[in-house]
Amino acid sequence: MTDDSASDDSATDSSATDDSADAVRRRLQPAEATLPCGRRVDETLEQAAEGGADDLDDHQSTCPHCQAALLEFSALWQPVRDLVAAPVTAPADLADRVMRRVHQMVTDTWFTLQLTELGSLKIAARIVARIARDAARQVPGVRVALGRSTASRLVRLVERATFSHRHPDAAVGVLGRTAAVELAVAVQYGEPVHDIAREVQQRVILQLRESIGLESVTVNVTVDDVVQ
Amino acid sequence: MAGGYRRRWVGCPRSGPAGGRRGWETTLTDTGASVDDAYLVQRAQEGYVDAYEELVSRHGLRVYRTALRMLGNHHDAEDIAQDALITGWHRLEQFRGQSAFSTWMYRIVTRLALNRLQRTKKTESIDLLGDVADEETAHEHAERNLAVDAVSQAIGELPVPQRIVVVLHHFEGLSYAEIATITQSTVPAVRSHLFRARRTLALKLGGWR
Repeated sequence: MTDDSASDDSATDSSATDDSADAVRRRLQPAEATLPCGRRVDETLEQAAEGGADDLDDHQSTCPHCQAALLEFSALWQPVRDLVAAPVTAPADLADRVMRRVHQMVTDTWFTLQLTELGSLKIAARIVARIARDAARQVPGVRVALGRSTASRLVRLVERATFSHRHPDAAVGVLGRTAAVELAVAVQYGEPVHDIAREVQQRVILQLRESIGLESVTVNVTVDDVVQ
Repeated sequence: MAGGYRRRWVGCPRSGPAGGRRGWETTLTDTGASVDDAYLVQRAQEGYVDAYEELVSRHGLRVYRTALRMLGNHHDAEDIAQDALITGWHRLEQFRGQSAFSTWMYRIVTRLALNRLQRTKKTESIDLLGDVADEETAHEHAERNLAVDAVSQAIGELPVPQRIVVVLHHFEGLSYAEIATITQSTVPAVRSHLFRARRTLALKLGGWR
């Protein structure tokens, strides 16, 4: 490591005072492990690259070798800092593509089916879940609301029940105008949890009825976190 | 505090001299960091796709940026970032929370980028600059572009292990210990790679100047 006593002697060497940039660069060659004062080249470069060229220790504050090397290394490293600071933006549709693939991987065959005089309407469960989630997030005191669209046990139970009671005209009876929605909610600390949960249920039911036309909606709210 | 938690992908066109780029960014605008990653990971493991979408929102840019710095071009970076984020969902059940989710994602993206590098042996480099400050003159811009191009090229020519540690430490700001975890290596090994990488880069940049 560093030999400070040797460095003090070499600091008075006249050759140190005209330590040129070329000389510093030569010291970057692998064969050169130390500066003339004894300080390790790698550690000096590390200090400069980490932005510490101005943070001189006792030895460096009086050593022209170290000061010249730090100055030069810091200047050499500037383009790297520029590149680090250059903003990077990800493609706009990256997240959408990822989530499309994720949804494809999730079992997501649960649809709400409605028959009208014009034909049938099918709405994927994840859309129902999304509308429910967004409605829940509008409730004061709710910090996070997550909707589940995977075929949980509850959903399967509802599905079976509605399948058996489906309208005889339904070509593909799934859930008809019935939906069961599961929401996991994190609420603001100090807010009345029970009131918030009730409000979430009411708003989600209202929203699903208005936007999708579902008649029978069950909203199961799980408050599983409190956020400060 | 009122709720109204909103989180949206921002697919806004970026104006400015670079022009034409679109981007998305992490937002949790009105609630700040309302829940931590561990909560979202747990929910995502239970099947809440929404939770994973939020994780993608938080970490997608980081994943893409790491791929970009390692691979040196936007096309490959996009591919690898997408693969990494999908792999994250696919393997989420195996994530035990022994490290941060970000560390886990870094491991996935560096592994995939490494595979891509080994397959293609690409070392090409392209413009990695984003927008340029308005007050910058054309000459300064050109100078900076040249310098930054030189850095991009120099990084692209580093041996892969050195490239990984330079990207993770100097570009992503990770500590030696975090990099050791991600690369399943040791702190002295990480430091040694960084020493060599910095020397090589400094020499090349010195030659460019």
